[in-house]
Amino acid sequence: MKALAITAVLLSALLVQAPFSAQRTTYTYQGTVQAVHPKTASFDLVVGVGYALRVVQMHTSPVTQFASNGAKMSLADLKPGDIVRAECRMTATGLVADRVAKIEPSGSKREPVQ
Amino acid sequence: MIRAGASPGAVLLCVAIVACQKPVKPGDPVRGLTKEQRASFDRGKVVFDSTFTPETGLGPLFNSDGCGECHEDPVKGGVGDEVELHASAFHPPVCDPLAAEGGFVFQLKSTPALKAALGIDSEPVPPDATARARRTTPVLFGRGLLDLVPDSVILSYADPDDRNGDGISGRPNHFVDGRIGRFGRKALVPRLDEFNDGAFSAEMGITSPAVPTEETVGGKPIPPGVDAVPEPEIDQEALNRTNDFVRLLAAPTPLKASKDAKRGRKIFDDIGCTGCHIPRLRTGASPIAALSHQEVAAYTDLLLHDMGPELADMCLGEATPAEFRTEPLIGVRLKPNFLHDGRDTTLEQAVQSHGGEGAKARDRFLGLKPAERVALIAFLKTL
Repeated sequence: MKALAITAVLLSALLVQAPFSAQRTTYTYQGTVQAVHPKTASFDLVVGVGYALRVVQMHTSPVTQFASNGAKMSLADLKPGDIVRAECRMTATGLVADRVAKIEPSGSKREPVQ
Repeated sequence: MIRAGASPGAVLLCVAIVACQKPVKPGDPVRGLTKEQRASFDRGKVVFDSTFTPETGLGPLFNSDGCGECHEDPVKGGVGDEVELHASAFHPPVCDPLAAEGGFVFQLKSTPALKAALGIDSEPVPPDATARARRTTPVLFGRGLLDLVPDSVILSYADPDDRNGDGISGRPNHFVDGRIGRFGRKALVPRLDEFNDGAFSAEMGITSPAVPTEETVGGKPIPPGVDAVPEPEIDQEALNRTNDFVRLLAAPTPLKASKDAKRGRKIFDDIGCTGCHIPRLRTGASPIAALSHQEVAAYTDLLLHDMGPELADMCLGEATPAEFRTEPLIGVRLKPNFLHDGRDTTLEQAVQSHGGEGAKARDRFLGLKPAERVALIAFLKTL
């Protein structure tokens, strides 16, 4: 049941931002890391519009690039509360991130990482 | 603009025009709209005031069956007597809005079909919530103006480390994507149209192009057959119209100040209330001339402030349980109760409930002579 719930959350969250075009295979999400799962090499991202928040589960692969302020990092460096921009693609097993960049909130001293 | 050298007659005419302008009443659109913009406002009001049913997309979980059901007193866009339920889990320094479990808005009503399927009257709050919070309906007047206050203006009032030593250390909240927030009691949401778009989903269970999927029920999918209306349940046009109406709702003109109220305005400043309740903010540029570069009597800095343990409830975004956004005092005279959860029924009680960063101003208020307190409250009742 828990797996079903997570899948449902994943799918509903995906549709929050993903366009409906069948040809579109890559997506960009920007949100807050809710949890990091080292065993499954994945993390949960909170995204949304106004008070309508959803959770996206994002898998990573050995070639996923992580960066923070221009410096390389890894999944293990991500922690709940971090804000990231994740470029990902849909696969048969779910969303897989190609690039994950940690960014600073607006108005903070450091400029967002591009 | 009156130029130097203008004739006395022209000056008098201008003064007379300003003096004779009718006050803006609650529910009026902002002044100076084009005919087309006024028509957009009127069209938007129709959507705002419409009632949804399960057959037109309501639910299956919801707090209200229409925007105008909650924002209704004394006119559409005003306050309501509804109190809704929010919850989150605070694991310092991280706040979990319980989004995977249906949060942070936990709807208090369900459609007959959902009740038949799951036997629930409302969305269950998960056991891992560390706090629940009651939230009253805010007035929407003047929110289109607050939407246009540049982030740089909000940041200019921030003093997170209290470097000026006045005991007030406002800081901005940020949305989940890192943008500066300003709307909602915890200043989570950056933009007014996003707040409205999200409300269709979170408050009414209505899907739209902005939020095209139904929320889960406590993290579980909606049972098959419970909501047969295809997504999205309203179209972009309906969203646009609603946004037009809310954006163009004017801030009502403050009532004419009595001698007492004029004195109260000065006392409000003297005792430090304006440290957070910044009297006037200026909007930035907008394609709508009537909203562009306008001054609004906002009485807020749109920042978070620690209001002390007595008022603390839930975290949200970067806001700790004790932090709340300075409530704009636009239309405060129209409210039947005060503070985020409606705990107080008089303005005097509301001032007394201030703690944390508001404690110094509260104590100065309590130290005023009775007539001075009356004057300050008389001033607030003009807003």
